[in-house]
Amino acid sequence: MSRLLGVIDATNVINGLQDLSLNRSVASIPFAGRYRFIDFILSNMVNSGVDSIAIFPKHQYRSLMDHIGSGKNWDLDRKKDGLFFFPPYFEPNENSTVGSFARFEQHLDYFKRSHQDYVFIANSYVITNIDIEEALAEHLIHDHDITELVNHSQSLDMYILKKSLLIDLIEDRKNSQFISVADVVTQPLHNYKIGSYQHNGYTATMDSIEAYYRHSMKLLDASVWNQLFPTDRPVFTKVKDEPPTRYSTDAIVTNSMVANGAVIKGKVDASIISRAVKIGKGSHVTNCIVMQKSQIGEGCTLEHVILDKDVRVLDGVTLKGSPDKPLVLRKGTVREMAVSM
Amino acid sequence: MVKKKCVAMLLAGGQGSRLHSLTSDLAKPAVPFGGKYRIIDFTLSNCTNSGIDTVGVLTQYQPLVLNSYIGIGSAWDLDRRNGGVTVLPPYTEASEVKWYSGTANAIYHNMKYIEQYDPEYVLVLSGDHIYKMDYSKMLDYHIQNEAEATISVVEVPWDEAHRFGIMNTNSSYEILEFDEKPSEPRSNLASMGIYIFNWKALKEFLEVDNVNEDSSHDFGKDLIPLFLNEDKRLMAYPFEGYWKDVGTVKSLWEANMDLLEENPGLNLFDHSWRIYSRNPNQPPQYLSPTAKVQESLINEGCFIEGNVQTSVIFQGVTIGEGALVEEAVIMPDAIIGENAVIKRAIVPTCLTVPNGITIEPEEGSDDIILVTEEMIEKLRKDVTA
Repeated sequence: MSRLLGVIDATNVINGLQDLSLNRSVASIPFAGRYRFIDFILSNMVNSGVDSIAIFPKHQYRSLMDHIGSGKNWDLDRKKDGLFFFPPYFEPNENSTVGSFARFEQHLDYFKRSHQDYVFIANSYVITNIDIEEALAEHLIHDHDITELVNHSQSLDMYILKKSLLIDLIEDRKNSQFISVADVVTQPLHNYKIGSYQHNGYTATMDSIEAYYRHSMKLLDASVWNQLFPTDRPVFTKVKDEPPTRYSTDAIVTNSMVANGAVIKGKVDASIISRAVKIGKGSHVTNCIVMQKSQIGEGCTLEHVILDKDVRVLDGVTLKGSPDKPLVLRKGTVREMAVSM
Repeated sequence: MVKKKCVAMLLAGGQGSRLHSLTSDLAKPAVPFGGKYRIIDFTLSNCTNSGIDTVGVLTQYQPLVLNSYIGIGSAWDLDRRNGGVTVLPPYTEASEVKWYSGTANAIYHNMKYIEQYDPEYVLVLSGDHIYKMDYSKMLDYHIQNEAEATISVVEVPWDEAHRFGIMNTNSSYEILEFDEKPSEPRSNLASMGIYIFNWKALKEFLEVDNVNEDSSHDFGKDLIPLFLNEDKRLMAYPFEGYWKDVGTVKSLWEANMDLLEENPGLNLFDHSWRIYSRNPNQPPQYLSPTAKVQESLINEGCFIEGNVQTSVIFQGVTIGEGALVEEAVIMPDAIIGENAVIKRAIVPTCLTVPNGITIEPEEGSDDIILVTEEMIEKLRKDVTA
């Protein structure tokens, strides 16, 4: 039984990802063909033996709740411990950094009632495959008050601390003026012992559309792929029961990742194709990310484009972004006219 | 228990010996099909999609894989508070072990399971066939026609009718006679092995059949003739659509190839009638810069660097650079080495075909090869010799 309580602070708004998070929380942005951001940290916790996981969502958590459900796909539908979803009673005024005391305070009972002694606090926008038990072992050896997880000296915005300390910090927040765990770690003037744990695996911090696009394209590199999806630490997600992907006699697909249920009749290169996407005959899709259920008609040309869910591109349309600035088509839109950037 | 209108009994004990090594350690209903499924997924999904939520699965031959695959039925939404899926293996009673000696005998031994739900109707299914069917429509037909038993039938080509159990009916599909594999068929309506019975009548006849020492306790051979002898009203329910018994290596291969047609008879992409299965939970498939894939179905977790033409590739398969896979079925987690050639063949689960090995039928032969460890061993020796 793990000594860790898992907490996912999904309350952060990332302005750079606005195009992809208009109708959903950052935690439920699709990634890697069949996943959502939150699948990675949630699977990390499950694979590290964490039994009790709390999710603190921001507003617009419908898509997140729909995705997570009872937690069954992560084996978190348990009688003892399992998954807890803590929507806000009211949204605190300040826009907090990771580990928001104001939000945790609303559900302080959860922390007080849990039998685990330590808390692992994570966010929903850093994607990696990490063994949290190892980080806890390091935390215990060095006897830090708070251990910050870092990747090449950059913070992962993930922290480990004693649960009793977290409760003290929450209860004392008006007096101390600290707003979050991240806040305590970054401010120099206190007596807490802050340490760090170095995580070397591939890490994607999703703080802008450009970062999202860059990290998506990196998935086509086998070494990155193997670091994010090692066979002994699988990433779990919501099951969709899509059939295998169907390639027609005219399909030409190279250097691409393709999820199930797609029907491909055109030419695809260096792209990420999600579940149940349709790509018509004579279309060329290059360096693109095509999300769930989007449909590309016949004779289209798409380069450096991110198509959110349920986008329709009508026959013969040309859409071009650039490697540094991909063109983003928002969820559910229909494109009949060419766009070039 | 809450009373159920209709309980399904799914016969899944078949050995499928004509599938050779594919069924050496699992029952035929557990054989992989269609890039991601097992044969039994079709019947179980049909039950769920038809609103039948109480399904007894009768197992006997090599049940381990099947039992763990079915689990508590969550994959098919059959983990229900009342009803759901129940695996029914043979069991011992005070004095004897009750092995299932025939399809009817298997149901006879599980009458207590059925009685718990006090149903009006019992739907008897086989876990050996690939098809999509709305059983609720068949039940409506059974009720409207006031039949004691209804048997689903499909038209088969006349020259193949001698291989099937044939129903001779009048023009309104009332069954007059049943011919098991007739040498001179008088009808081409073949039984699909799908029966709906009024439970009261079935129970009575199962008891009669059980004490008949000459009976083989089979639905087709013994039970249906018993109903006919007693002048019970038997109806044939004509089914139109794709239906295939995948009893041999060739028919299993053909059924997989059928899925690759432009407009396949069996549409796996219909969201209103999904085929559910246990999800392998693997990342999306990756096609490398050297990959070429045409007219094929490929499932998640595959890593493709070679040339795949007109094939069905299951989850977790690796196909090396320079390899050619043509008109083949590659089952889960198999590895096709670099520059290997596989044509008109089935490669079973987890088998590795080493680099540079060629497996294809002789010129002009329309055989389908079931690749085995021994075959690979022999070919490897030939290469090194």
